[in-house]
Amino acid sequence: MNTSPIESWEGAEAYFTFADKPAVMMLFLLLAVAITAGTIIIAAVHEKHAYNNH
Amino acid sequence: MEQELAALTERLAALESASAMSGTINSEIFYWWCTALMIAIHAGFLAYEMGASRVKNVLASGIKNILAFAFMVPTFYFFGWYIYLAFYNGLIPAADGAAGLPWDMSMGPNLADNATGIFWAAFTLFAATTASIFSGAVIERIQTAGFLILAILLGSVVWILGGAWGWHPTGWLTVKFGYHDVGAAGVVHMVAGFFALGVLINLGPRVGKFNADGSPNAILAHNIPFTITGLMLIIVGFFGFLGGCIIYMPGEQWINIYGQPATLSAFAFNTLMGMAGGIIGAWVKTRDPFWMMSGALIGIFAAASGLDVYYPPVAFVLGTFGGFVVPMVAVQLEKMGIDDAVGAFPVHGIGGLIGVVSCGIFAAGYPNVDGMPPVSLWGQIVGAVTMAVLGFVPGYVVSYILKVFGLLRVPDHIQEKGLDIVKVPVSAYPENYTPGPVNVATPAAAGTPAE
Repeated sequence: MNTSPIESWEGAEAYFTFADKPAVMMLFLLLAVAITAGTIIIAAVHEKHAYNNH
Repeated sequence: MEQELAALTERLAALESASAMSGTINSEIFYWWCTALMIAIHAGFLAYEMGASRVKNVLASGIKNILAFAFMVPTFYFFGWYIYLAFYNGLIPAADGAAGLPWDMSMGPNLADNATGIFWAAFTLFAATTASIFSGAVIERIQTAGFLILAILLGSVVWILGGAWGWHPTGWLTVKFGYHDVGAAGVVHMVAGFFALGVLINLGPRVGKFNADGSPNAILAHNIPFTITGLMLIIVGFFGFLGGCIIYMPGEQWINIYGQPATLSAFAFNTLMGMAGGIIGAWVKTRDPFWMMSGALIGIFAAASGLDVYYPPVAFVLGTFGGFVVPMVAVQLEKMGIDDAVGAFPVHGIGGLIGVVSCGIFAAGYPNVDGMPPVSLWGQIVGAVTMAVLGFVPGYVVSYILKVFGLLRVPDHIQEKGLDIVKVPVSAYPENYTPGPVNVATPAAAGTPAE
C-alpha cells in the first residue's frame, strides 16, 4: 500500500499520508470522530452501570 | 563610485555573517531548551518509580533513578557519542567517528563549534530516557551496582548503537532498507523495552509477587497520584525529546534525522493526536488512571515513527489502538510469571513495536533522499526485529553474568525488610512513624458539656 502523495520532495507542499486520496482521508477523519463520540457513549453507559451497582 | 561599491560589498558581507551567526545561535538555543525539557522526562520517571514503589522502598527507588542519570552523563561523554558517530555501518567503526572521541577538539568549549556540545547534551538526555525506562521495571529488588552496569550498557552503548544504525542520516538500516523512525519508537523505546525484558527474566519477581502455583498477587503502588503526575511530567518532557528529533537548518526548512524535509508543525499535530488517542484507548480498556497516562505515552510511541508524515486522524487511530491493546500485553506478561513493576516492556517495547510497524503500513512509499530506498513495510519489519534483538540480547546476557556473580538481585530477606531501612540514611515519610500525642477529640465531642 502506497500512502505517500509525493514521489519526490522537490516542490512538495501538503505531503501527509493520503493527502491525494480524499476518500481515505475522510474515512480516517470519520473513524477518529466515531472513536471520540463513541467513547462519550461508552462513558455514559459505564457510569450508569457503576451507579446502579452501588 | 568604486569606493561606495566596496563599502556596500563590505556591509553585505557583514550582514551575511551576522545572519549566519544568528542562525547558528538560534539553533543552539533551540536544542538547549529541548535538553532542558527532556530533564522533565527524568523527573517524571523519578516520581513515577517512587510512587509505584511501596513505602519501604521509596527512596531506594529514587536513588537508583537519580544515579542512572548521573552515570549516563560521563559515560555518554566517554564513549556514547563516539559510538553514534562511528558505528553507522554496523559493528566496524568508521574513521570519521573520531570526532566523538573524548580527546577530540570538538568535545569541549570551542568557538568554532557551536553544535557538538548541544547535540551531545540532547543525545545524553535520550540516553537517560532509555535508562529510566529500564529503571522502573526493576524496582524494589535490583542491586545498585548491577543496575548501574546495566543502565550504562543500555544508555551509553546499546540504544546509541541502534541510533547509529537506524536514527542517523547514513545508518545502514536507512541506507539499505529505508528504515523510518523519526520519533525513535524503535531506537529508544523498543530497545529499552526489550532490554528490560531480558533483564527481568534473570532478575526474577519481587518477593511475594507470585504464589507457589504461579498465580500473581497485586503489589500496590504506595502513591498512585504521584505516579500519574510523574507520567504527565514525562509527556511534558517528550515535547523536548521530539523537538530534539528534528534538525534546525538556519535559513532553510527543518529536516528530519534522515535529511528529509519536515516541519515542527507536523510533529505538533501528530504528537498531540497520538497522545489523546492513547489516553482514550487505555481508558476504554482499563478505566485506570495509571494506564490512561501510560496510554498517553503509548499513543505517542504508536505514532512516533511517522510523526513527520501522518495525517493527524491516522495518528489518533494508531494511538487509540496502542492504548487499547498494550494493557492486555501487560496482563499476559504477568501470566507468564514476569514481574514488570511499571509495565516498561508493554508500554515501551510493544508501544514502540506498534509505532515502527505501523509506519511501514501507513507511511509506505514516502521518498527518501540521496537515492536511499523509500519507506516500506519490509524495511520497518527489518528495523523492528533489529531493535528487539539489539535490546533483548545484551540485557539478557549481561544480567545473567551479573546474576552468576551475585550482583543482580537483592536477597529475599532484605526485600522483605525493605531497602530504605537497610541502605538509605533518611526516611521518606518520617512523621508517619513518629509516635506522639494524637488529638482524638472530634469537634462535636470537644463541645459536649461534662455531665
